[in-house]
Amino acid sequence: MSYIVPIGPYHPALEEPIHVKLYTEGEIIKNADVFIGYNHRGIEKLATKRNHIQVTTLVERVCGICSHSHALTYCLALEKIAGMEVPKRGQYTRVIVSELERLHSHFLWLGLAAHIIGFDSAFMYTFAAREDVMDMLEILTGNRVNYGINIVGGARRDFTKEQLEELLKMTDKIQEPFNNVKKILSSDKTTAMRTKGVGVLTKEEAWIYGATGPHGRASGMTYDTRRIDPYICYEDFDFKAIVLEDGDVFARVVLRILEIEESIKIITQAVKNMPDGPINLGVKLPRIPAGEVCIRTEAPRGELTYYVVTDGTMNPHRVSIHVPTFRNAATVPVMLKDNSVADAGLIVASIDPCFSCLDR
Amino acid sequence: MENSSIIKISREELVPLAEKMSSEKRRLIIMNGYIDKDGNNVVVYNFDLDGQIITYECIGYSTLPTVTHIFKGAAQWCEEEISEMMPIEFEGLDKSGRLFLPEEFDGTGQILVMPIDDLKKINENKGRDYSNQ
Repeated sequence: MSYIVPIGPYHPALEEPIHVKLYTEGEIIKNADVFIGYNHRGIEKLATKRNHIQVTTLVERVCGICSHSHALTYCLALEKIAGMEVPKRGQYTRVIVSELERLHSHFLWLGLAAHIIGFDSAFMYTFAAREDVMDMLEILTGNRVNYGINIVGGARRDFTKEQLEELLKMTDKIQEPFNNVKKILSSDKTTAMRTKGVGVLTKEEAWIYGATGPHGRASGMTYDTRRIDPYICYEDFDFKAIVLEDGDVFARVVLRILEIEESIKIITQAVKNMPDGPINLGVKLPRIPAGEVCIRTEAPRGELTYYVVTDGTMNPHRVSIHVPTFRNAATVPVMLKDNSVADAGLIVASIDPCFSCLDR
Repeated sequence: MENSSIIKISREELVPLAEKMSSEKRRLIIMNGYIDKDGNNVVVYNFDLDGQIITYECIGYSTLPTVTHIFKGAAQWCEEEISEMMPIEFEGLDKSGRLFLPEEFDGTGQILVMPIDDLKKINENKGRDYSNQ
């Protein structure tokens, strides 16, 4: 018996609006369509009517999870057009916030994955660890969501020695809940049964759809922007770009767990090797000349690209934003095929989607 | 972060370029579109060349050949988005439905390009009451 099962765009189980149509035969999904665009906010258009300082604040609000990545990428674009070089301490400051953002994003996703699987004790461990990371972000930047740490030419505020010591203590403190999560999610039989072989995306399919970030790397794609095209000062840090081959939901879980360990390594190195000196080139915005540039960074969910066109005025002429979900959401129909309807929610969630980001 | 370069190409050069990039396993990072100060359509193709972004621009065309038969899913949503937001068509692109714009939206351009008063008029014609807003 064939059915069409519509999910969304407004549904109690969905945190953000998306519409998915599942074409099923009995319990098995034979095809699927994904419809986006329900949360289009016109941010790109609005950006052309604001000056560069306002746009830095505006793009930080594209996403509530990877807010820092957006402001950072926009600032990097302007700095490249203007030929500015950010002082080393400012670069380290940006790296620390980037990796804290990755930590809290990965913990968030692992918690949600555990919740969807039905493993709420693991959800609580991950959110306990995430809370410590969020508190740390508040201590360092003054904010838990939109950190406002980026300005064109560097970082907005410096970290004190005491704050950096607190940061190292935090990385020690989250070890216990993290180890519990790692043990539960990577070796528990129930988790494995629920995730292994589910929602498989092969390496070839990942290439065809341009899957990025942890989602692509769980399918064997080797692209980690921090490694292949180092920005800020990622070349200063010793860390591994994790790549797995299986391409199922289990691989996506394990990959994010391993990436958390690498992020903690980067934070520790950044604190220990934090250079002295200024954190920015001054708080006055320099005149940005006419130019255009494509900039990419490794946001927690994958490759974030900004194409910025300037015309020498105070406003950008064009700010084109593409978030990792723009790439990864297109892979959802491929992953859903031949899986059961009961796994659809987990498979959609496994890309770590942000549909509000996607719609801008 | 390597310095990126921008190369201008004609529409005739586009498909051979995409085929070359694909055969060399160069990734299509992203496509972007905008209208320049002179009113020309600009469509931008950004490829990954061993960690360096290399950018190709097609300027001033109202139609371009699709590259979805070469880069498939990696180009599909990009071309759909650009053709919704700008007055440009991709020849050969399978546009079976809308991407960002509402299905009943008639015309092209970003949604917010339409003044709010015009939007109200359209909706009033459909029987929606805005008198108390």
